[in-house]
Amino acid sequence: MNPAAAMRSDSAPATGEPIVSLRGVARRYGDTLAVDTLDLDIARGEFFTLLGPSGSGKTTTLRMIAGFERPSEGMVQIDGKDVTRVPPYERDLNTIFQDYALFPHMTVAENLAYGLEAKRVPRGEIPGRVSDALDMVQLTDFGHRNPAQLSGGQRQRVALARAIVNRPAVLLLDEPLGALDLKLRQEMQRELKRIQAEVNITFIYVTHDQEEALTMSDRIAVFNAGRVEQVGSAAALYDRPASEFVARFLGSSNFIERDGRRLMIRPEKIRLAAGECLDGPDWHGEPARLTDAEFVGMYTRYGLELRDGQRLIAHEQNLPGFGLGVDVRPGSQVALAWHKNSVCYFDKMDAV
Amino acid sequence: MSQGAAIDHAPPARLGRRLSAMLWRRPRWAAAALLVPPMGWFVLIYLAALVTLFVAAFWQVDDFTGEIIHRWTLRNFETLATSPTYRTIALRTVGIAAAVTVTDIVLAFPCAYFMARIAGPKLRATLFTLMLLPIWLSYIARVYAWRLILAHDGVLNWALGEVGLPPANIGYTNIAMWLVFSYIWLPFMITPIYAAIERVPGSLFEASADLGARGLRTFTKVTLPLVVPGIIAGSIFTFSLTLGDYITPVLIGGTGSSFIGNVVYANVGIANDIPFAAAFATIPAVVMLIYLSIARRLGAFEML
Amino acid sequence: MNKRLGYWMSTAVAAAATTVALVALPAMAAPAKANYPAKIGPGEGQLNIVAWEGYAQDAWVKPFEQQTGCQVHRKYAGSSDEMVALMRQGGGSEYDLVSASGDASLRLIYGGDVQPVNMKLIPAWQDFLPQLKSPPNNTIKGVHYGVSYEWGPNVLLYNTDKVKPKPTSWAAIYSDQYKGQVTVPDNPIQIADAALYLKAHKPELGIKDPYELTQKQLAAAVQLLQAQRPLIKKYWAQASDEIGLFKNGDAVIGAAWPYQTNTLAKDGVPVADVIPSEGATGWSDTWMLSAKAKHPNCAYQWMKYVSTPKVQAQQAIYFGETPANKNACSAMNKIEPGACHKYHLDAPASYFDQIHFWQTPRIECSNGKRNCTSYRDWQRAWQRVKG
Repeated sequence: MNPAAAMRSDSAPATGEPIVSLRGVARRYGDTLAVDTLDLDIARGEFFTLLGPSGSGKTTTLRMIAGFERPSEGMVQIDGKDVTRVPPYERDLNTIFQDYALFPHMTVAENLAYGLEAKRVPRGEIPGRVSDALDMVQLTDFGHRNPAQLSGGQRQRVALARAIVNRPAVLLLDEPLGALDLKLRQEMQRELKRIQAEVNITFIYVTHDQEEALTMSDRIAVFNAGRVEQVGSAAALYDRPASEFVARFLGSSNFIERDGRRLMIRPEKIRLAAGECLDGPDWHGEPARLTDAEFVGMYTRYGLELRDGQRLIAHEQNLPGFGLGVDVRPGSQVALAWHKNSVCYFDKMDAV
Repeated sequence: MSQGAAIDHAPPARLGRRLSAMLWRRPRWAAAALLVPPMGWFVLIYLAALVTLFVAAFWQVDDFTGEIIHRWTLRNFETLATSPTYRTIALRTVGIAAAVTVTDIVLAFPCAYFMARIAGPKLRATLFTLMLLPIWLSYIARVYAWRLILAHDGVLNWALGEVGLPPANIGYTNIAMWLVFSYIWLPFMITPIYAAIERVPGSLFEASADLGARGLRTFTKVTLPLVVPGIIAGSIFTFSLTLGDYITPVLIGGTGSSFIGNVVYANVGIANDIPFAAAFATIPAVVMLIYLSIARRLGAFEML
Repeated sequence: MNKRLGYWMSTAVAAAATTVALVALPAMAAPAKANYPAKIGPGEGQLNIVAWEGYAQDAWVKPFEQQTGCQVHRKYAGSSDEMVALMRQGGGSEYDLVSASGDASLRLIYGGDVQPVNMKLIPAWQDFLPQLKSPPNNTIKGVHYGVSYEWGPNVLLYNTDKVKPKPTSWAAIYSDQYKGQVTVPDNPIQIADAALYLKAHKPELGIKDPYELTQKQLAAAVQLLQAQRPLIKKYWAQASDEIGLFKNGDAVIGAAWPYQTNTLAKDGVPVADVIPSEGATGWSDTWMLSAKAKHPNCAYQWMKYVSTPKVQAQQAIYFGETPANKNACSAMNKIEPGACHKYHLDAPASYFDQIHFWQTPRIECSNGKRNCTSYRDWQRAWQRVKG
């Protein structure tokens, strides 16, 4: 993670004027509300992710920033200017499409040169910039190839190069890694982070993959049913989810009833011990019965039943001389404990 | 009873099953069995007809009785090459076919683009029906309808008169033929262009705009190149259909409106000079052959 | 590529070999020999005829079928040339009879496509107009190759509102008085009309018979027709075309059949027709029997039947032409009072004589010299005229 980003406060952009601002933006299709009144500020140089399940409005939001869709209400600003009614070709940003949208009748180099020609970059300058961009995505010798001759990962890199060669202020990425297999995806994630650091462009990234969002982003906006549930850094969202939806969408979570409210605790934040109670000033402890245990490798997954019958899941790292170990049998009594800072309370109304 | 015996006494009804099992084991035989009837048909009927045509072009007809004399001669081709009448007719046929094709491209492109990219599903279905509806009507009926429109006291001149314009005397002229051909073959141009435009992912147009290209650049650099195969596929239809037509020239054309097809028809059905008809008929065949080989180079057959 | 070409070549050669064998039919170029039946035998139950549209109407076909038990299968042809082609189709045995006009009959006779007919079996033939008993278009050296049927002139049709005064000469369609409003048939035999006009107006060409033209005379006719082309609105292919042209105001004058005049007048279009001073070409149709007829008895029954006054009258009034059987007069008047006179059956011989009936142009002129032009020359020449 970008060290600068880690220092940032939870929901406000870091410094200076935001590069992209949405002010009261809404988008309706007939009677359907795709994006509800939305305010967002994205800081210059930030890796900002729009995260949410499909149909939550994240892609529509991205397309309104790109200019492919016009908001039904509100205003889109880029670099302080109102661009709500400005067509895509006059906005200082570029998009990487989910299907890459490479022009099949042009070579890789022609694809890269397309934007430069459209923007009337001097002819002599184009070949240099194209080969620089190809170098950056490690496709130096691929300029003469046709897109059809490339693998999925290579096409992804060409799409990236075709966008950054224009040196836009903002790069929009619409689930760019969705079509790649896991290994390639992880490689490309690192690659994207590297390039972002290198070119210092603001990235606005759409994904439904929470892990991808957590690992790559400076900040994340979690979308649900056309609204933003929470904006913040990965750690903030994970540790301090503003809603039960956010808690459930990011990582795994336990919900139990306590004192007429709903308590959320992450499985890995529950400590387990055989026999006696663990208790301390900042710790909460209680006994439970072990219902089952699954060895997952990096950790063991335990099923627990509290005295009042509510159930919990706990993840314990498999460290030697730590926790329950692997020999406990289901049915045995154990003691569990969590740090009081590890839990979140939600109102019952909040249930999804 | 042993299994072996059961097989030995297999009733003849099992033959079909055995045959299919054999074909399954030998996929090449299956392919051959599938292809022989159509190929046989193709070779016998289609190729044979073409070859007969070509061979007959080198025969001649007895002046008096009209019987075919099977002696090799180049006389038919000499007549074709030396007579300005036939040269004019050949050029007229190819020229009008080309004009019709260009007109249809110009007319069809916006229609196809609108249907493929702008119209909603309901409007698109309606437009498709409207476009294809005339095809269900007899060709002759549509041509006759145009004759009434373009006639001296027809709809066109009436409409012109209503708005205070002088009558357009285009009934029974080559302009009328050009109009009617363009109308009749238009659906054959719209359909492949529509298919070609629809095949282009919408994201390519967005990508073009995203990269800073305005409408015109997107059109010339992205839309057009990707749709060219569809245009060529359509032009094969409009060009060849016009090239081979002989009914519209009779019904719509005036003086000096004969097509190659009319001369061929006159020589087959009227003068009974099949060799000369065959010789003339080789001209559109050769023109189409050249056209198709160019079209194939440009990738048009992927759009058919 | 080369391999593929080789494949195509070998296929083509194989196909060529088969088709040459299929197409190469023995050439037969002499009139068929007579093979007269002594009497009409029992009908074969079927009869296949090629006819002009309007020549085989149910009004007289149905009674024939009832009387004879011969089921009539009709194939309509649009031109003389199509008739010839149809009669040669499938080796010549597909059709039994054809209603051939004079510009087709000789081609059929000399092509050996039709056979002599025994006139003793056609009793009504005795009552035919004398000129149509043995006319040159169907009778060669006293041998009858068919039974004359109906005849009529190609008239000058004009719109009485637009064309004034009443035209008296074919010059009306050769001068630019009605430029762009003239229509003439799209038919090579139209050259004879031009020749007829030249015969009267350019005697120095020495045209005697408009169907016997030397190369020089043909060239003159073509020149006249080419000069006429800019005046033409349209060369009409079917009678209905011409009717449409007159109805829609596209044409006001042109060469026509009386049938068009009748139809247009019935529809209230102000038209009239005239046989101009130069005379007129015309048609005289003959029912001819295929040399390879499969149903000769039914064919003889038909020829006998259509020669009777009643059928001749029905046919004449339906199409607007004149019967060959002069006894048809009263039958005509019964159908339509005054029809006998209207369609000139009671006209003096001079009316008949001013009509130059269609004949097939042949290389061999009637004087025996072989310096006339053939029908194919005419056909090519007509193509040059039309362009």
